Amino acid sequence: MNTVIEVKNLTKTYGKKANAFTALKNVSLNIYKGESVAIIGKSGSGKSTLMHSLALLDKPTAGTIKIDGVDSTKLKGKALNQLRNKSFGFVFQQFFMNPSDSVLENVTLPLKIAGIRRKKRHQLASDALKTVELTEREKFKANDLSGGQKQRVCIARAIVNNPKILFADEPTGNLDSTTGDKIIKLLFDLNKDKGVTLIIVTHDEDLAKLCDRQIRISDGTIAEETKTKKGKK
Amino acid sequence: MSIIDTIRTANHNLFRNKLRTFLTILAIFIGSFTIILNSAINSGVNNFIDDQIDMIGGKDYIVITKAGAMNSMGGAMMNMGAGTPIEYDENAQAVSFTKNDLAKFESIDGIDASSIDRQDSGTSYTYITSEKTSKKYQGNGLGIMPAGDFTIPMIVGDIPDPETKENLIALESGYPKALGYDKDEDIIGETVTLGIKDEVTGKVKEFKAKVIGVQAPGVVAFNGAAGTKQLVKEVKDEVEKYYPEAKRNTYYAITARFDNSKYTESEIKQILEDNGFEGMTVSDMSGMIHVFFDAMSVILNIFGGIALIAASIGIINTLFMSVEERTREIGLNKALGMSNGRIFAEFSIEAISLGFWGSAVGIILSMIIGNIVNNLTHQPGGILEALPTFNLFNFTIGNILTVMFIVMFIAFLAGTAPAWKAAHKNPIDALRYE
Repeated sequence: MNTVIEVKNLTKTYGKKANAFTALKNVSLNIYKGESVAIIGKSGSGKSTLMHSLALLDKPTAGTIKIDGVDSTKLKGKALNQLRNKSFGFVFQQFFMNPSDSVLENVTLPLKIAGIRRKKRHQLASDALKTVELTEREKFKANDLSGGQKQRVCIARAIVNNPKILFADEPTGNLDSTTGDKIIKLLFDLNKDKGVTLIIVTHDEDLAKLCDRQIRISDGTIAEETKTKKGKK
Repeated sequence: MSIIDTIRTANHNLFRNKLRTFLTILAIFIGSFTIILNSAINSGVNNFIDDQIDMIGGKDYIVITKAGAMNSMGGAMMNMGAGTPIEYDENAQAVSFTKNDLAKFESIDGIDASSIDRQDSGTSYTYITSEKTSKKYQGNGLGIMPAGDFTIPMIVGDIPDPETKENLIALESGYPKALGYDKDEDIIGETVTLGIKDEVTGKVKEFKAKVIGVQAPGVVAFNGAAGTKQLVKEVKDEVEKYYPEAKRNTYYAITARFDNSKYTESEIKQILEDNGFEGMTVSDMSGMIHVFFDAMSVILNIFGGIALIAASIGIINTLFMSVEERTREIGLNKALGMSNGRIFAEFSIEAISLGFWGSAVGIILSMIIGNIVNNLTHQPGGILEALPTFNLFNFTIGNILTVMFIVMFIAFLAGTAPAWKAAHKNPIDALRYE
């Protein structure tokens, strides 16, 4: 199996000297192409920090992260932006949408940043909205949608650039269980049908069990790593 | 992200908080409005003065009379702006140049002898009158000159073609009224009478001339009525016939160019004075006016500048608030791969747009107000009624674009600090922001 993310001895410290707080201590792990991984842990355990580090949104204090074999410290400026823009997709618990913009505009954002022409990006965004079954809401203001619909728009935005890795931070955290199930199904369909590597940060054990692998974080270290047996999903 | 998308997004973001944007634009508007209006008034006045200087000749141009003659002439010159001709006084006499004076003058160092233009006393008619009045009036300054030597702004009608074989004349402003015509246009096509007096016998010979135009008045003009060559010749021939021998071939005034790379205006005037002449330069005629308006302009520009400084603080404040409010959005954009440069550009364009709209509104409003004031001043009873070619506010494309560019540049500078802050935000700030 191909390793897409390789983490070695990752340490992340916030603050300085007396106020220093170590969020991650010597974490090493591999993420393989096409798998689904759940990063689980209580709040404050360091799971979000781990995800931010994996997504290169945060710089490690020590240790290395390799993306497709390339050391992250060597990725700077344009290369880093390209990687974030083309290879990563993000789904956040808080959605992060422009409430006054249309659903379509929100979905096109990564393409707009990539510099893709208006016509093309509207086409791609429409396709992404079709995948999340929100075609009829294209022209709606993002603010006028329900929570579940908003999260589906976020997924559409995350997949519109055909990412290799999809990061989902508590994707069902703000949703009721029925809506949550729909979102989960969408994410796993993408994982299976399109081979997108899925990294889900959650504290929801049931959601975690649906993933191929669970990495349990506690006090900044990997407490346990488990694999779900095939066919048991 | 393409440039067009960046501009479009910046403008879209700008009008998200409409009230705040409006207030910031209002502040910029006040500054640019002041400066535009001020530069327009400065340009209007300087234009007018330059116009007048063109009429005379230029910076190296000097009008020379015999010492003591300037006062009598100066009176006529000062009189021009007011537009009221002086009534003919039988005792008035001009101090003239003789041929000897001229030879002496030609030899003065710094005077370009080839440029000497003798204003013949011979072309000075004694008085002018019309059928509508019994009063007689003096000719201003040089009396009558062939048209075509000077650029003359006209109020109404045309400058006579010098070659026309007719006695045609374009009077100076003020004359139509003095001659009994209420409006300048009423005198067009009418006939006026020019009188020439034989100073020995006291006999008077009169000429008829058809008026085809009225010249625009000026504050520094040194001019006379403009006529066809035929008219000028007839008048001159008659004057020479009647004049005593001693007065023939004498000159009322001489105009010449001096070497202004060699001598300053005051130096050449001193040289002339030492030789018994009096000189009057263009600066003498227009200098004080320029100085006054330039000083006024500086003061007004300072006010405009202060307003713009206040406005740029407004821009800084607006954009800093905007950066704070949009922390999550900036973070998301960065997480999705937007470069620092693009974020900086987006906020800078917002600042420049504020400058653009503020100055655009300022320009439009100042042009409307300027044109209204221009019209009002030219109405009967308006302060510039007597000077119809003088527009108080003169808006030029160059001025407008310069002010716009400066305001937009100031706005850009004001926007750099907030834009820099936005560009260097950490993407996870947004992800942690609640």
